[in-house]
Amino acid sequence: MNKIFLKLVMLPSGLWRSMGADTEQLAAILDIRLKLDNRKPIPFGRQRTQKKERNNSVWLNMFIAALTGLVYIFTLATIKDRIFGLTLSFSFFLFMLTFMLITDFSNVLFDTRDKYIIVPRPVSDITIILSRLLHVFIYLFRIILPMSLPMWITLGVMDGWKSALLFPLPLILLACIAIFLVNCTYLLLLKLAKPERFKDIINYFQIAFSIVLFASGYLMRGMLNTSGNIEDLVNLDISKHSWVRFTPPYWLASFWSLLGFPVNLAGTQWSFILAIALPLLCLWLLVKYLSPQFARAIGGIDTVAAAEYAPAAQTKATGGKFYQKLANLMNKDEVAKAGFVITWLQTSRSRSFKMKVYPFFAYMPIYFVFLLTSEKHMSFKDAWDKATSPDNPSYLLLLYLSSFMLIRVLNYLTISDQYKSAWVYYATPVVIPGRVMSGAFKAMWVKFFLPLFILFAVFIVSVWGWPAIADVILALINVTLFAACMMRVSFRDLPFSMQEQMNQGGNRFLKSFIAMAIPSALGFGHYLAINILWLKLLFMVLSAILLWLVWDSYANTTWDAVRKTELE
Amino acid sequence: MEPIITLRHLSKNYGEKQVLKDINLDIYPGQIIGYIGPNGAGKSTTVKILAGIIQDYTGDVTIGGMDLRKNVMEVKKMTGYIPELAELYDLLTAREYLSFIGKLYHLSDSVIEERSRRMLDSFGLLGNIDQRMDSFSKGMRQKVLLTSGLLHNPSIVILDEPLSGLDANTVIMVKELLQVLKQEGKTIFYSSHMMDVVEKVSDRIVLIDKGTIVANGTIDELRQNSNDSLEQIFSKLTAGEGYSHRADDFASALNDTQPGK
Repeated sequence: MNKIFLKLVMLPSGLWRSMGADTEQLAAILDIRLKLDNRKPIPFGRQRTQKKERNNSVWLNMFIAALTGLVYIFTLATIKDRIFGLTLSFSFFLFMLTFMLITDFSNVLFDTRDKYIIVPRPVSDITIILSRLLHVFIYLFRIILPMSLPMWITLGVMDGWKSALLFPLPLILLACIAIFLVNCTYLLLLKLAKPERFKDIINYFQIAFSIVLFASGYLMRGMLNTSGNIEDLVNLDISKHSWVRFTPPYWLASFWSLLGFPVNLAGTQWSFILAIALPLLCLWLLVKYLSPQFARAIGGIDTVAAAEYAPAAQTKATGGKFYQKLANLMNKDEVAKAGFVITWLQTSRSRSFKMKVYPFFAYMPIYFVFLLTSEKHMSFKDAWDKATSPDNPSYLLLLYLSSFMLIRVLNYLTISDQYKSAWVYYATPVVIPGRVMSGAFKAMWVKFFLPLFILFAVFIVSVWGWPAIADVILALINVTLFAACMMRVSFRDLPFSMQEQMNQGGNRFLKSFIAMAIPSALGFGHYLAINILWLKLLFMVLSAILLWLVWDSYANTTWDAVRKTELE
Repeated sequence: MEPIITLRHLSKNYGEKQVLKDINLDIYPGQIIGYIGPNGAGKSTTVKILAGIIQDYTGDVTIGGMDLRKNVMEVKKMTGYIPELAELYDLLTAREYLSFIGKLYHLSDSVIEERSRRMLDSFGLLGNIDQRMDSFSKGMRQKVLLTSGLLHNPSIVILDEPLSGLDANTVIMVKELLQVLKQEGKTIFYSSHMMDVVEKVSDRIVLIDKGTIVANGTIDELRQNSNDSLEQIFSKLTAGEGYSHRADDFASALNDTQPGK
């Protein structure tokens, strides 16, 4: 695949040469960049495997793009009014493309290794610039082509070859708008934030994006189901939504009036002109004003080195910071305090940890709303009212859902990109590694789980009243027990000491499964005992005793046990 | 005088490969031992065994009169280890990292604070104490590692290539620091490639090659009345004969083939 792309972009090599580029170097640089792309982890979902080299991520990326492309044919195929259907499809397309580019381009644009690897060699500036541009071009092509393919085919099937032939024109114009938007966003971000924080901000952006996708996926499906009437969608009338004609996707869709699809709204000829003029204007602004500014701005990203870093205000007293007070409060042992503090700090600062864990905070309430309101033949509001009625113990679901959060963060407690730095535990006189682990567990529990749980508890008490408090407490103990069992059985490792691996041993999986089955049974017991207070109190005592036993074993993990887990 | 570190028939295998073969060595208190050898000779393995990181060796290691295998924790309290590569949690600030390490040695907050401030100050790093170490240069990280290894005032200091990345002035400072530590009666096990430094600071030099000790003595003993530098002795003892040949071969690879297609 890459070879084909490379051949294609190198076809006009005479042109590149006349621009002053060294085509042999150009081809070599592009070849390397494409190879690197191919070995990069894919942007959505799955984590990188360290053991197996990834060689097919370009194909996978294209496949994912094609899958997202299927979404756009939904509106196109269902809505009778072709122009409106196209407008909606183009809107989704523009939205997705812009977001994908914002999150993905940062990798391409901010790869600063160039500075050390290519710049010191005898390579001319024009060759470097051209290699970047062509790389971006290939990159775009690889996203846009598969993403638009389903729409293209659908149009061809529905309308015939004329429609399919017309399609690339609005597509190219759309891409121009997307690139313009991406550039504007980057410039805005760079204005708002210091360059060295930029990579963090892009990450938060990615987090927000994944939440939006997740939420819209779940909630939209719920709402479509509950409104229940596909007819409404099929017969959507554009004249009732006349604001649509002020949007660029509508202008692009109005191209189809060339093929005889009537445009209901007035001013078709204007939208036609606008459809061509806007992208050209965007392109012009981009070349003339934005790109130079942009180049200057990203130049600053890595040159702002240590020397210019303003030293943080020196804090004198130790034990004065919030997390240190908490560490002292929650741990008696010095080693446990060390485990607590390092976990607190690492999780606040590690980019990869935040990426993996933060979106989960938002998923929890969304899951809850979705699960409660996904009943068919009922409107969203009715379902919600039913779920929150006083005699419906649906809040148990929310309470036990919080265990996913705890499990998620604890899963990443032992994993780090900097796993090698864990040599310190082995070189220092740590007698019981379980102490470090217990401090680390407490830090995770207090920092990520407790606030969310309290939030849930406040919500529950405000809706269901004070009697629910017994359930809240029992669930708190059970969920903590749940997590402690899991850590004790399958993750008896020191914090941030393991490399991330996709395939954990089957043995581990089975053990975690068993570890989780026992407390799940407890949760079910809780459900059965929902109306019997004395039984709930009894469960509380039993669970607390069990928790104490498991915790004691976890916090006293020996070196032998750690080594054994490492070998698994 | 009793040796403070004794290695008897020390061997270590990685799978099929034997990296240490029957090492026997006595080290006396208050000495600086230069431990040298070519790449892959087994230097780092020895150092990691002494630091208590590698525990599945064969043979016996006695440190401070205690069997290392049975008293790993006691031995670790006596030793300070400064590793070769600056592997540290660089998302932390220098202060946070040192506080973390200090707690692992059960030092009190005030002692950690006082010592790390003064030690970093003498390295000229006090102004950076509250900066995250991901913005640190290699030399700055190495200084933090040196500080972290000495924070608990160990009586045995194990250094694995401690000067890598340090500038000339800091190298001079570290060399003097080693002398000061030695005068305080500390034993220093110094593993390095830098022949000139080893030659100057060490009381005794141990040369290891392919997992066995090939020389052990003061620099004068190693010279055996010749005027060779340590570098030359090293090259002779570690089958370095013919290195000039190899350099010639390397250079002629360039001359014998023409550039271009």
